[in-house]
Amino acid sequence: MKFALRLTTLGIAFMAMFSVIGLRLWFIQVAEGPQIARAAEEATWLGKSSFAARGDIYDRNGTLLATSRMVPAVMVDRTFVQPEQRDELVQELASIVGIDPAQLDALYDEAGINGRFQVSTVSNETAYAINESLDELPGVEVVKVPERVYVNGPTMAHVIGHLGLPEEADLTERPELDRNVRIGKLGVERVYDETLQGTSGTIEYRVRRGEIIEQRPPVEPVAGSSLVLNLDLALQEKVELALEQGVALSNEVKEEERDKGEEVFSETQRAAAVVLDVNTFDVLALASYPDFDPSNFVAGIDETTFDELNEAKAFNNLAVSGLYPPASTFKAITYTAKLEENLPFPTEVEGIDGQLIHCDGTLNLSELADGSVQVKHDWYDPRDLGWLDIHGALENSCNIYFWNVALGTYQAYNGKANENILQDWASRVGYGHETGIDLTSEAPGIVPTRQLFEEWKTYQLENPDEPPRLEPSRLDLASPWLGGDLMDFAIGQGAFTSTPLQVASSYAALVNGGIILEPRVVREIVAADGEVTPIDRPDPVTVDIAPATRASLLEDLGRVVNGGTAAAAFRDFGEGVENIGGKTGTAQSTATRDNHAWFVGVAPLDNPSYVVAVLIDEGGSGGQVAAPVARNIMQYLAGNEQTPIVQGEEAD
Amino acid sequence: MAVISRLREVAVDRGRNRSDRILFGTMVALSGFGLLMVYSATASTGFAGMERQMIFVAAGLTIYAVISNIDYRELKNLIPIVAGVVVLALLGVYLFEPVNGAQRWIPLGFFALQPAEFAKVVVILLLAAVLSPNNRDELLTQRQLTWPTVFRALVIVTLPAALILFEPDLGTTLVFGFILFVMLFVAGATWRQMLALAATAAIGVVVVLQQKMLATYQLDRIRVLFDPSVDQGALGIRYNIQQSKYAVGSGQLFGRGLFAEGTQTSFEYVPEQETDFIFTAVAEQLGFVGGILVVAAFAVIVWRLLVIAANARDRFGALIAAGLAAMMVFHVFVNVGMTIGIMPVTGIPLPFLSAGGSFYLAMTISLGIANSIWLMRTPVPGENQLT
Repeated sequence: MKFALRLTTLGIAFMAMFSVIGLRLWFIQVAEGPQIARAAEEATWLGKSSFAARGDIYDRNGTLLATSRMVPAVMVDRTFVQPEQRDELVQELASIVGIDPAQLDALYDEAGINGRFQVSTVSNETAYAINESLDELPGVEVVKVPERVYVNGPTMAHVIGHLGLPEEADLTERPELDRNVRIGKLGVERVYDETLQGTSGTIEYRVRRGEIIEQRPPVEPVAGSSLVLNLDLALQEKVELALEQGVALSNEVKEEERDKGEEVFSETQRAAAVVLDVNTFDVLALASYPDFDPSNFVAGIDETTFDELNEAKAFNNLAVSGLYPPASTFKAITYTAKLEENLPFPTEVEGIDGQLIHCDGTLNLSELADGSVQVKHDWYDPRDLGWLDIHGALENSCNIYFWNVALGTYQAYNGKANENILQDWASRVGYGHETGIDLTSEAPGIVPTRQLFEEWKTYQLENPDEPPRLEPSRLDLASPWLGGDLMDFAIGQGAFTSTPLQVASSYAALVNGGIILEPRVVREIVAADGEVTPIDRPDPVTVDIAPATRASLLEDLGRVVNGGTAAAAFRDFGEGVENIGGKTGTAQSTATRDNHAWFVGVAPLDNPSYVVAVLIDEGGSGGQVAAPVARNIMQYLAGNEQTPIVQGEEAD
Repeated sequence: MAVISRLREVAVDRGRNRSDRILFGTMVALSGFGLLMVYSATASTGFAGMERQMIFVAAGLTIYAVISNIDYRELKNLIPIVAGVVVLALLGVYLFEPVNGAQRWIPLGFFALQPAEFAKVVVILLLAAVLSPNNRDELLTQRQLTWPTVFRALVIVTLPAALILFEPDLGTTLVFGFILFVMLFVAGATWRQMLALAATAAIGVVVVLQQKMLATYQLDRIRVLFDPSVDQGALGIRYNIQQSKYAVGSGQLFGRGLFAEGTQTSFEYVPEQETDFIFTAVAEQLGFVGGILVVAAFAVIVWRLLVIAANARDRFGALIAAGLAAMMVFHVFVNVGMTIGIMPVTGIPLPFLSAGGSFYLAMTISLGIANSIWLMRTPVPGENQLT
């Protein structure tokens, strides 16, 4: 290439580069100019928030549970800090407030250019000291910010919840949030966060070199609304105390068992209870043990405390998120289904005489092709209770009886359209899906069916590396669902899981005539101006249960308490025990964990108004450990003297 | 004194040749306009910013006049000394405390010398010397550059570029690469040599990335162009780009007027506006019309430099002029490009407009040399074209 040609080429290339600049300038200034100009105009306005007071939380009787007080906090507004002043300011302020300069530096960076951030809340003395030396602290101001106060410490912690600073995900999801204002992280603090939060006010201004040169009329903050809960603080305190004592009782029992040389796997550490109004599904008490103090989160929780509590699963609200097989408490549902659907007993099985079943601890299945007889033993109670009808079977929690119901159902309906007849009853009264309670992290539980087992089988075959849900031998079968699975289901065992809230709400439906509502912990919202809005809830769902079935069930639940598996636990109940009903349950856990203890109480039997569900996680026998806890709570509800929680009869 | 005799020669023998008045006029216009812009961007702090820049402009124009009247061929002899001084100065910056995390300056009381700005001009002279034929024989026999020549050019650029990369100043380092590329092309490099150079550059980039020689913020400044979510340094980069775009866009067709109230410029919302982001002051206050006129003025300068290259009496002069054109183009493209979001944010100033001493002086020296090449364009009768 000739020299002149090279220079020409270069000239063309250079002019092309200038053209690119020219075109882009045209695009930004002329084509998109008006839009950019508008955005730029808005961007010259800076804003700061004035904080709204967060709403209070009251119990059903108007007792204050959570409130906010205004405390001084140190804020830094970077708009008023010249870059060269930064280092000195950070050092100075960190020493006054008493925090690590590196931490303050990090906050400073995080806030971004022209950002405003809260350093920390401070004592009145520190606030005074800072106000005295504001001249040397550019961009610093002391403002009043709301700080949460939990009046009763850890009481009702899982329902009330706690606050925390919003995370990036929260800020993306709710752009209206101020990164300096704490939001609800758990419980009603979270579910009703937008109601409680209120709206921050704003002050908008323009700044040049740290001086405000123009200001818009300020927008005043709107205080958040308050919540009135359905829970009763006094009852809640009794329930929490009873749970704590129930855990202690369970450990005493375990100590005795160890002394007797029986196998015990672990210390009892967790428990949960729910008290539900059977007609309104208002949650009167809801507790999970162990708990935590939400006050720890007020100024940010320290890592050690958090880790310890987290390790103990103290933040888990077991009443709504703990999953356990409902065990024998579920027999009340199988009972109702048997009567309502007239479920048949099996044929070719010994120990059946009309409506009577021989409860001798074994179920002799039909002869197999090789002439042998398959015998299924009661997993829990090997005693011979004699011949029992459905009433005696519920009273004594006879597994053999309910196994026969399941086996008969399996024989009659297996592979047919209504083969899930029992599971459908479970779903209708609330198992296998969320109840819809207004709390965080509710678990749906599992209602096992042939369809579910087949899904699991397919998944397991496709993902052999993941932990199996079905025994490997099941995978070889054409269908992994067996009659034994329905038998397990009928007595609330096997793959079946549920939460204490589901158990409570299913009993409420059985005893109130079949009406199901979403349980609510919040009763009403009270706006800052005093306007009261009742909490809205979807229309009730109705399950058809004949009055005779309901009456029969109530009577038999009464027999459980007044002579059946819970009789020992309720011996000291006092006046009116004949009007109390309930059902014990002992849930088989894994091979290396202790059984879970259940009790569901209903009272009064002549006009049911509440259910009490108690679960002691790995607590042992329902009749022995859970029933005494429920008894103690129900004594309080009946207005009787609360007698000590001592062990009842070891029963399923 | 050789210099004196040349001056006489210029005055007596080349009386017919006149300075490049278009080049000079455009430079003066841009400088004056730059003073106005610097004032508008720093008005809230008074006249200090502009007065300081006025001193540099006065000094720069004086140096321009002096250098214009020195025969650029004399520079060939001075190159080794000047290059040595520049390398020492580039090392010298490390004797002083870093400013904003970089060691680029030698504080000289009233202003801080930035050796890298002068290094650009010196490297152009060095490259021109290496790439131009030494005698008539070479011109006739070697129609193409030899591989050793290309290699020598590469070494010449690498030393100062590496020193500057560690200051750190990525933008200025890239200027050297661009200048080398353009000058090799003009000097007659073959396509193969150009490809080899491109490959070397690619390897260099890989090595720099592999050895993590770039700071995170340098990578982020590039990445933020393609991925707006990148925002290292707490909104810093995005904020710069955003404010800059706001200012330019707000100008629209005719601008918001000089010293208009309520502009991004008058609010000083654009960081570094009187230096690296001076173009935003032009674009906001005078709009597309003002911005395009400034770009056009630079196009005129580049055009004049290429004309000078075409008319230079020897290959040495031609290569210098082409190298200066490359430097000018790179500065304008990268600087204006970053204010309108098509180039990464680097500390590359805008010639004649950005406030700052070293760079302004380096630019006037550059155009002074160019003017000298223009003045010397007609060969004296009987004179050897190549010496």
